[in-house]
Amino acid sequence: MPQQEPLTVLASVDLRRAEALTDVLREMREDPAHNPVLPFGALRGWHFGRVLYLPPATGLEGEPLPPKLLLLGDCDGSARAQLEALVDVGGTNLDRLFGACEGYPSSPSRAARLAFLRKKSVATKANYVHRQGRTVEQILGERELRRALREFVARERLDGVPALEARRRIRAFVRETPRLRWALEPPPPLPLSFRAKNALHATTLPLGLLAFGPAIVPAVLFLLLLVRLEELRDEPEHLRPTPEHVHALTELEDWYAHNGFTAGGFVKPGWVRQAVIRSVLPLIGWGTRHLFTRDSLAGVKTIHFARWIPLDDYRRVVFASNYDGSLESYNNDFIDLVAWGLNLVFSNGLGYPKTRWLLFGGATLEQEFKDFLRRHQIPTPVWYSAYPDLTAVNIERNAELRAGLSGFMNERKAKEWLRLL
Amino acid sequence: MAQAALKAWPTGVKGKKNLPPLTGDKLVRECGLPIAELAVDAADVQGLVFRGYGALPECCYPLLRIEEPERGRAFVRAIVDRVSRGVPAARTVAVQIAFTSLGLSALGLPQSILQQFSRPFLEGMVGAHRSRFLGDTGESSPKRWEWGGPSTPPVHVLLMLFAESAPRLEELLAEMRRTWEAHGLSEIRILRTNPALLGKEHFGFADGISQPAIEGYHPVSSRLHLVKPGEFLLGYVNEYGLYTERPLVEAALDPFGSLPLDVEGSPRRDLGRNGTYLVFRQLRQNVVAFRETLDALTRNPDGSPNRQAREYLAARMVGRWPSGASLVEAPHGDDPTKARNNLFRYHHEDRDGLKCPIGAHVRRANPRDALAPHPGSERSLEVNRRHRLLRRGRTYGPELAPDAVDGEDRGLMFIALNANIVRQFEFVQHSWLVDPRFNGLYGEADPIVGMDEQNAFTATIDPVPVRCTGLPRFVTVVGGAYFFMPGIRALRFLGRLPTDTKASS
Ligand code: HEM
Repeated sequence: MPQQEPLTVLASVDLRRAEALTDVLREMREDPAHNPVLPFGALRGWHFGRVLYLPPATGLEGEPLPPKLLLLGDCDGSARAQLEALVDVGGTNLDRLFGACEGYPSSPSRAARLAFLRKKSVATKANYVHRQGRTVEQILGERELRRALREFVARERLDGVPALEARRRIRAFVRETPRLRWALEPPPPLPLSFRAKNALHATTLPLGLLAFGPAIVPAVLFLLLLVRLEELRDEPEHLRPTPEHVHALTELEDWYAHNGFTAGGFVKPGWVRQAVIRSVLPLIGWGTRHLFTRDSLAGVKTIHFARWIPLDDYRRVVFASNYDGSLESYNNDFIDLVAWGLNLVFSNGLGYPKTRWLLFGGATLEQEFKDFLRRHQIPTPVWYSAYPDLTAVNIERNAELRAGLSGFMNERKAKEWLRLL
Repeated sequence: MAQAALKAWPTGVKGKKNLPPLTGDKLVRECGLPIAELAVDAADVQGLVFRGYGALPECCYPLLRIEEPERGRAFVRAIVDRVSRGVPAARTVAVQIAFTSLGLSALGLPQSILQQFSRPFLEGMVGAHRSRFLGDTGESSPKRWEWGGPSTPPVHVLLMLFAESAPRLEELLAEMRRTWEAHGLSEIRILRTNPALLGKEHFGFADGISQPAIEGYHPVSSRLHLVKPGEFLLGYVNEYGLYTERPLVEAALDPFGSLPLDVEGSPRRDLGRNGTYLVFRQLRQNVVAFRETLDALTRNPDGSPNRQAREYLAARMVGRWPSGASLVEAPHGDDPTKARNNLFRYHHEDRDGLKCPIGAHVRRANPRDALAPHPGSERSLEVNRRHRLLRRGRTYGPELAPDAVDGEDRGLMFIALNANIVRQFEFVQHSWLVDPRFNGLYGEADPIVGMDEQNAFTATIDPVPVRCTGLPRFVTVVGGAYFFMPGIRALRFLGRLPTDTKASS
């Protein structure tokens, strides 16, 4: 069963062609799954996809930052292979999307398109996957399984039947139904090569700490002290988002079980914050890869995928995620469950609510924090989900339901399992 | 009452420490404030915050429109001394008043002040995203509303009149009508309520049992329900230890010094202090459909009706029995001796919803300790306290006799008070009631208020979950608006707004 990898294409847009690009995006927005430019629904193994345009901006030192096009995918298998699939599905239509980008081949062939996309692909420093190894195919299959089992249980009037007997009948039904039979086997494990690579990666942090240990501790403390001094001077202004901005965002929100969230902002000026953000992102990357690997990002169970993407050599950072429910409940989870984690990264962003020692305060200043996130949110009209009716918890429960079809159970276990139906 | 609450505190529940109520020293320590500062200034708060006026069964809600700013302000000045406060408690009649954002604008409140109110209040209850979010679609869509919708006259003022008897109410209404007519306000409609159904709602259940208690006003209560005043009143500390966003006014704009000072110490005056947001939704209940659907779902194999099974299913949907007894405490049948009990929780008692279904209305509207983080813990309750509502609604329309069928309009004038509409009312409505995936469910909106045409409900688990499907909508929204219910001093300020503020904004 393949692993999930983030696909990120980041390209500068030629300002003269930006207008044509926004037209293309408007066309895609009509139907992200089936639009003629890049029909996400035709890409096998894409959980989520989005395309967004970042308009030209001016850096903190007055330097112009060119507009950018950002394509993100959360895909099964290697991002490299998915890029090829993208070129095959998009074909010549990709020229309309990326034609506005600087460095796009003038007479594009398949090879030239692929070469361009590879060149513009960026490795993700910090990426979260709700459950590594769970493919789109598995998720959709297990959703079908739930529907079929619910129907079966209702039809057969299994209420009142003892748990083990009910389970036996359900298993017999699955066995006799060719389109469900696959569910009797547990999903295959992650490929060995991936697990080996991952295990190796897991050692990097402890090894690094071991090697530089004595030097790292004072360095971290010194950096933290400098951060603290900056924090004391920091007087962020509490600004509310404009009604127009909120409207542009809410128009796209709350149509499905989950929403796409994209936010971006400037990193605070100075080398201290540069040092912090450049070390924190890989650190978080390590944590999401090796600690938060089972259905929960430090206690938040409503995030399918999330990632941080540095732009313009870390002058800006973009955060993109797919979360269940409303933005309000997402924000509340942030504040109530992982305020420290948000502070760690976002407090390096300009205008973030005042923090203490990098971890405290910040997000816990409820309204200020919510307004900060809203103001930095980027409308993302072209956003695709392969399973718009499922929350991460639904997906988990479906997987547990399937897992319970195999193996031995006693009456008590069978009872618990039946409750998942 | 408070003493009883203390005694009834569950002792020795498995894996859980007993949590003493927050009082005295502890209160000071946890809030970092001396008690004097915490105590609610009840004389400046409209009484509805503290009581539902159960002793005044007669009630109606006139909806009015202000035609001209100065006359609107004169109306506010004329009525302010009639408005009932937290103390002293009103005895025979009570008058409360609240405004929509359009209403405040019509009084001449400068935009610079108005724009500091919360976003949902400014935007109003209707709007494409909000309607989708609140589940106000299809039959509940605002374009079909009888009031408060896009095609009905704008509402500016909500009066809430209460009286001990019908003649007293008519007298009060006549007096009020004379006052608003004298000041040129026009009457949009008078919403009537049903005094006979006090404490009960049309589907046949006791209502108004579970309410939060306000710290600094209610002397002692269980930690389960004791909530910081800032969750219900602006200008007080909320459950985050912060002050909820509220409108502050430059001292120069308050020449008469009507307003209280900003408790956070800025030189500005607090227009929000002692005020609250009032969410009003007229919810029509289709009692005939409710009974017929339940009846069809619970018939005996031979097709005859099964009254007991029907009542059982209805109780599962609500999460309480008709008397009010919780299904957690009385899983097998109604028990009127437990009717007012409200100290139960869900996690340790009934994690999987075997006694009270996960999808039952009361368990969704207030999951208590059932949700993350760490269900069953004090942390879970701490987060829960950020989503509480003070409910002050009343029923309207005649009660439907058992087995009768008619076409009368009946339902609930749903009123909820909160300091943060987004985090409290809208969150509860969307994330807990309307969302069909609440707490791991799939395809099940709230069985009572879920605004879905094809709802489902897992009624029992035996040992497989038994799901009722194809449930129609039982509750339809027919009107509504977000109001601000100011404190008394804020009312005085509004009545004395300078005439030329429009120009200065
Ligand atoms: C016509 C529609 C409705 C009916 C018939 C109804 C009925 C009831 C009943 C019978 C109770 C139990 C009595 C009690 O605990 O006080 C209750 C509780 C409650 N309802 Fe509703 N309700 C309706 C709409 C709503 C709406 C729209 C909301 C919120 C947005 C809501 C929020 C609550 C809350 C918070 C509780 C208390 C739960 C607790 O603390 O345990 N209700 N409702």
